[in-house]
Amino acid sequence: MSLARAITTGDLTQLPSRRDEDWRWSDLRGLIRVLPAPSPAHIGAGTPGPFAGLANREVVIVNGYGPAAIKVAAGETQTLALRFIAARDAGAHVARAAIEVDAGATLTLLESYEGEGTDYVVERDLAISVAKGARLERVIIAGDDQDAVSVSRADIDLSPGATLAQTVLTHGGKRQRLETHVAHPGAEASVRLDGVYVLGAKRHADLTTVVTHAGANGVTDQLTKGVVNGQARGVFQGRIVVSPGADQTDAKMGHHALVLSDRAEVDAKPELEIYADDVACAHGNTVGALDDESLFYARQRGIPEAEARAMLIGAFLGEVVDRIEHDGARGVARAWLAEQLGTRP
Amino acid sequence: MAAVQQTIEHVAEVERYKHGFVTDIDQEFAPKGLSEDIVRFISAKKHEPQWMLDWRLEAYRRWLVLDEPTWARVNFPRIDYQDSYYYAAPKQKAQLGSLDEVDPELLAVYAKLGIPLKEQEVLAGVKGAPKYAVDAVFDSVSVVTTFKKELAQVGVIFCSMSEAIRDHGDLVRQYLGSVVPVSDNYFACLNSAVFSDGSFVYVPPGVRCPMELSTYFRINAAESGQFERTLIIADKGSYVSYLEGCTAPMRDENQLHAAVVELVIMDDAEIKYSTVQNWYPGDKDGKGGIYNFVTKRADCRGDRAKVSWTQVETGSAITWKYPSCVLRGDGSSGEFYSIAITNNRQQADTGTKMIHLGANTRSRIIAKGISAGQSSSTYRGLVSAHPKAKGARNFTQCDSLLIGKHCAAHTTPYIEARNASAKFEHEATTTRLSDDQLFYAMQRGLSREEAVQLLVNGFVKDVLQELPMEFAVEAQKLVAISLEGSVG
Repeated sequence: MSLARAITTGDLTQLPSRRDEDWRWSDLRGLIRVLPAPSPAHIGAGTPGPFAGLANREVVIVNGYGPAAIKVAAGETQTLALRFIAARDAGAHVARAAIEVDAGATLTLLESYEGEGTDYVVERDLAISVAKGARLERVIIAGDDQDAVSVSRADIDLSPGATLAQTVLTHGGKRQRLETHVAHPGAEASVRLDGVYVLGAKRHADLTTVVTHAGANGVTDQLTKGVVNGQARGVFQGRIVVSPGADQTDAKMGHHALVLSDRAEVDAKPELEIYADDVACAHGNTVGALDDESLFYARQRGIPEAEARAMLIGAFLGEVVDRIEHDGARGVARAWLAEQLGTRP
Repeated sequence: MAAVQQTIEHVAEVERYKHGFVTDIDQEFAPKGLSEDIVRFISAKKHEPQWMLDWRLEAYRRWLVLDEPTWARVNFPRIDYQDSYYYAAPKQKAQLGSLDEVDPELLAVYAKLGIPLKEQEVLAGVKGAPKYAVDAVFDSVSVVTTFKKELAQVGVIFCSMSEAIRDHGDLVRQYLGSVVPVSDNYFACLNSAVFSDGSFVYVPPGVRCPMELSTYFRINAAESGQFERTLIIADKGSYVSYLEGCTAPMRDENQLHAAVVELVIMDDAEIKYSTVQNWYPGDKDGKGGIYNFVTKRADCRGDRAKVSWTQVETGSAITWKYPSCVLRGDGSSGEFYSIAITNNRQQADTGTKMIHLGANTRSRIIAKGISAGQSSSTYRGLVSAHPKAKGARNFTQCDSLLIGKHCAAHTTPYIEARNASAKFEHEATTTRLSDDQLFYAMQRGLSREEAVQLLVNGFVKDVLQELPMEFAVEAQKLVAISLEGSVG
């Protein structure tokens, strides 16, 4: 059951619904009554993406059409811009790509989900393997349209000693789900999974992650922060599974959200599923309003309220953005954040 | 040190499950299986009014179209609902005039369990010891309720549910099913159709109940299920503390216990509800034991109403239970303190729901899970704030402790915030016993077993403190016994 299957078969009963425990806050079956027509074929992009100029290689997939396999050879270092574009005439489509990062290679993957059209329905599926000792940093700007429905799913398979660092930045969609599934071998592999969501109007974003530790000595560090305003809805579902034998796992998960409007909503489910005893796992979750005292402090010092709010929210979310390792990407992420907060003080 | 030693001695003197005996008592049963006729049989046996029978039949018909839920993280073979007795009661001689006429065999059961059924026994206890009234439920019926007269003097009604339906029909009719609706969930619906007995408490406005009330549930009959129903109403400005205990014989088959507990709390009233659940957990290979599928919910209907659930869950093969608080009244508050211990092949999926509907409602959750052997323990909880719940506050802490390589501990909290002034905090940790702490304790002369007891007691201290005094001591011993043999 998935959006991709519903799109490829045209069978709407394949859509996940509220009755599916993992989709209770991101219902698709109740939302999509009719699928739009299949997206027409396109080649190449006419406009530069948000990471333009940072990458030494660009792969563009428009309406699901484009290269399907990307490989980074052993020992190589690459900065790759991967652009998923739903063109102006996009209807429904599934975009798929596979990425292999060979042993010892380093890939900075700058992904952008660009919505040129409006009410498209798409699924983007990525299969990524990171070989022994290889490093992958993913920075994703999910720029879906406010009337778009999208599910983006990445299945990441890590080998021993591999490193994965990921930061998702999103302003949501009509319904938007960003799923990351990590097969974590333990074995000195390390994972950082971060997310930032800034949602206004009637937007929705769902950041779902599943990290499965299969072996001993693995590290996972997760931090997601978000702000919701208007009638927006932010969803965070994080699950860390520690399989039998995955001892010495060190996993932590944090999710913190600010609710700025009485009609906005934040739903969170930070799960730990643990089958090994010699582990240190923790999660923390907070949801609340902006701290009145900090706001008062700033205003007292002559900063106008709107500006003070934006500043405090910027600092709150900035903690996540600062963890991006790639300098250029961090700069783009900061600019993205400023733009989001500027338009939504 | 003295306490630790006492615990060790206590562990040494009891067998693994000291309540596992069966009493050979003359009992009558309803025919095996479940049908409308069985529902009628139960209702007739209890001389219930027509409205009660109609209510049960309606529940039964709804139950037929419901599906058994599967979302909990527990595994068990499908239950055959037709292969069980839904009514089992000790045969009684006409109407009982006083306690002296109760079957001495039954009294012996409770004496063996350490439950005082004779009022003078309680009074003869240690000077200054708090009194508590008991309602004793044996399989499908309540055999005796103590201190009824003394309670009646202050207007408190404490009796079995069957009696309440007969004597306080209006109150029961007004509140029964108002907190847990008939078709709330599969097991609550089944309970509504076939519930046999349980306790009923009504505390009138402004009354502070002069003693602890308690119900002791005992399953005795084989191949039977126990479906009790408890309803407690705390009227404006009143207070009551209620304790619940339960045990069952050791059998190789699984027995179903599907209870419903409803609490109604009016303005400025408070209910403190404590449970020490010690149903037979099955043997070390997971054979036998009770399936404990219980719906417990408190409705804070009035402003500034308060409810507190405290539970120590050590028994049952499978526990599936989420005592909840509906915080409807402005300024009302809910608390949930829980210790869930699983050993051998036990499975527990337990937690709470805090549903904030009113303004300035507060809730607090402290859940401690300990898994040993090959058991699995899941905390599952929901904290939600409605748009009208301005200023709602929640603090949740759930900690899991793993003892041994083959056990599992899970945390599945759901958090739903729907307004800008709600403030929710949640933290959870999962660890094993710290080697450093064990080393420290053992270096000071404690054996490994003693050191583990000490650390475990420290781990659950926050919750034990919330229990009434006499229960806390029992519970502390129970914690030790439940983990017996789990230290490798």
